[in-house]
Amino acid sequence: MMDQDTLEMLRSSLRHVLTQDSGGPLAGRLHELGWDEVVADDSSTALRTMFEVKGDTLSSADALGPRLAAVLAESTGDDRLASATVALASPFGPSRWDEGTDHLVIDAMTLSAVSSATTVVVPVGAAPRLAIVVAHVGLTSTPLGGIDESFGAHRLTGDIEADAIEWIDDRLAATAWNDVVSHGRWLVACELVGIARHVIAAAAQYTGERVQYGRKIGTFQALQHRVASAHSMVIGAGHLAAEAGNAGDDWSALVAKAMAGQAAEFACTQAQQCYGAIGFTWEHEFHRYLRRTYMLDRLFGDWRSLEHEIGMRLQTTGVVPHIGSL
Amino acid sequence: MTDPPTDALADASAHPLTEQLAAATFESASEYAAALERFLRTDERAGVYIGYRPPSLEDSSRHMAGLQALLFDTGWSRLGWPVRAGGLGGDPRFRAAMFETLWKLDIQIPEPFTTLEILVPVLLVFAPHLADELLPSLLRGDEGWAQAFSEPDAGSDLASLRTRLEPDGDGYRLTGQKVWSTYGHLAQRSVLLARSGGPGHKGLTMVLVDLDQTGVEVRPIRAEDGENHFSEIFLDDAWVPGDRIIGQLGGGWAVAMYMLQWERGAWGWLQQGRFHSRLQHALQLAPAEPSHAASLGHAYTLVAALRLHTRETVERLAREETLGPEVSIDKLLLIDAELATWNAIRDHVGPRFELDEELHWLRAEYLFSRAAPIYGGSQEIQRTLVAQRVLHMPRES
Repeated sequence: MMDQDTLEMLRSSLRHVLTQDSGGPLAGRLHELGWDEVVADDSSTALRTMFEVKGDTLSSADALGPRLAAVLAESTGDDRLASATVALASPFGPSRWDEGTDHLVIDAMTLSAVSSATTVVVPVGAAPRLAIVVAHVGLTSTPLGGIDESFGAHRLTGDIEADAIEWIDDRLAATAWNDVVSHGRWLVACELVGIARHVIAAAAQYTGERVQYGRKIGTFQALQHRVASAHSMVIGAGHLAAEAGNAGDDWSALVAKAMAGQAAEFACTQAQQCYGAIGFTWEHEFHRYLRRTYMLDRLFGDWRSLEHEIGMRLQTTGVVPHIGSL
Repeated sequence: MTDPPTDALADASAHPLTEQLAAATFESASEYAAALERFLRTDERAGVYIGYRPPSLEDSSRHMAGLQALLFDTGWSRLGWPVRAGGLGGDPRFRAAMFETLWKLDIQIPEPFTTLEILVPVLLVFAPHLADELLPSLLRGDEGWAQAFSEPDAGSDLASLRTRLEPDGDGYRLTGQKVWSTYGHLAQRSVLLARSGGPGHKGLTMVLVDLDQTGVEVRPIRAEDGENHFSEIFLDDAWVPGDRIIGQLGGGWAVAMYMLQWERGAWGWLQQGRFHSRLQHALQLAPAEPSHAASLGHAYTLVAALRLHTRETVERLAREETLGPEVSIDKLLLIDAELATWNAIRDHVGPRFELDEELHWLRAEYLFSRAAPIYGGSQEIQRTLVAQRVLHMPRES
């Protein structure tokens, strides 16, 4: 376990590393920080802190992609995949096997740009089979700006012949993909908690500056209650995100992501009302946090879909599990 | 969870736990919980409490008093309380583990336990002499206590209360009216906040008053679920012996504030156990219905958040940290979780919820759950406290 001082130092270093525009790829900057030792010491706290800071700073660094690859490599026992890019489903897909041409028609999303030298792993189908495509010139990677230009998502397309593809063993693939999704849910939940905390703190501060009717608007109970209700929800989301890291299981990651998505959205809604018109300007930082919130909420399942999934699992198993023990 | 290392526990009914045995046997709350579960599943005296559905609150009170005495006599409920208070010592988290285990087995928590969790820690700090004298019988259930804070004109604005405490010989006299005293009509004594001095927070004193005396009249109030959840207490020169002051004369507000961390914190842990248990029960009452899955998922998510937050509170209280205004967050999370849980149960159970006679008890709990944003400091009070004292938003000057 990390003590409070170590944690503060780590936060400050990560804040620097994640917001540096130059200085080479993230992996190199993290290496200089001694990141590998920090993770070896307490990976749950280290990773949670990294993604909370990422949310707080709106960093564009692709910290998630390498984590998904690491999990995939560990889960499949295939070390080559540790440096691969893990593609996710895109709204324009799905990637599919074309029986007529015997080609894999890829239409997926990656969290950063893919070059022709990259190995990619592409999910195909609903309970996905996983295709490995090694450094293929037929892959095209185009920026997928959408609601959040700074997020770094890319669309991956390609029409790949059968003998350029290696399939991960199907049984292995099912477990591995499950691990990837759960790990992704956990880390994105942490990032959403980081965003939500930032949004609440900034809004609370603003209400102590802005004056109307001769008083700071933060003295109005209506605004106090909006901010306080968002705060309690984010506290709850923070606990679930932390527990999901410690427990490392699918169920707590699912619940953590559901809670974090709604807490961040709720925090944004309350904060925006505190800001009034100024919060609607391009210049104000608020919309960038709102955009990132929507982007992250969609990754690995938006919160309403996840709550539905949680309810379905409760109904079909007939069991209400306890997350965390005394 | 692991089995306890000694077989002596298997026959706890024949050999009640002792301080030495308890200390030597349980290394963690989960070990204790596993052993307690085994006891409750195997001891024939415990069977009548599993899945018990009370026809009324008074029946429940009578019936569950038997469990309270059983748990005391066998020692299980004495763990986690100091020896001087009739306990067997040990980590206070044993108490939290006992509640967890009871809910897990679908056993109603005897109502006095919730009062104990709130009042006993306060007495241990502010009135050690009363704790030594009275707590064992309270813990065993030989007598019941009730809180009496609110008045007809002092609800959220508690510091405006008017019930007078006047010196009289070697004691005091109480005159006034209290209301919303939970289970007041089933209690023998009351922890009561009264005015001993001038207006505002500084003129208040906390006392322990006997309810079975002339000068005290207790009238139950029937709540919207049809049960007598709380009472009015009329005080007309009621006698309070001089040694029944809790804390300092004029120091009642500090005692009340200290009490809040238990009322808002420890209470939340107890309730999350209830919500898990009730959701579990509801799943058995109706088949899966996809259109209600989101409602269940939402409730579960909020209950899980409440569980983890109040677990931290229970741990902090066990470390004897003094919690500040942040305990209002426990209450806010409780409100959201409680309302969502009962909404989901009603959704899932369907029309039987309104119409099935056998589900009277479930409806009663549902109706009473609507009090969550009101009792023990309303949702509005909690939000204001969080905004001003935790987030430091500006206060009106």
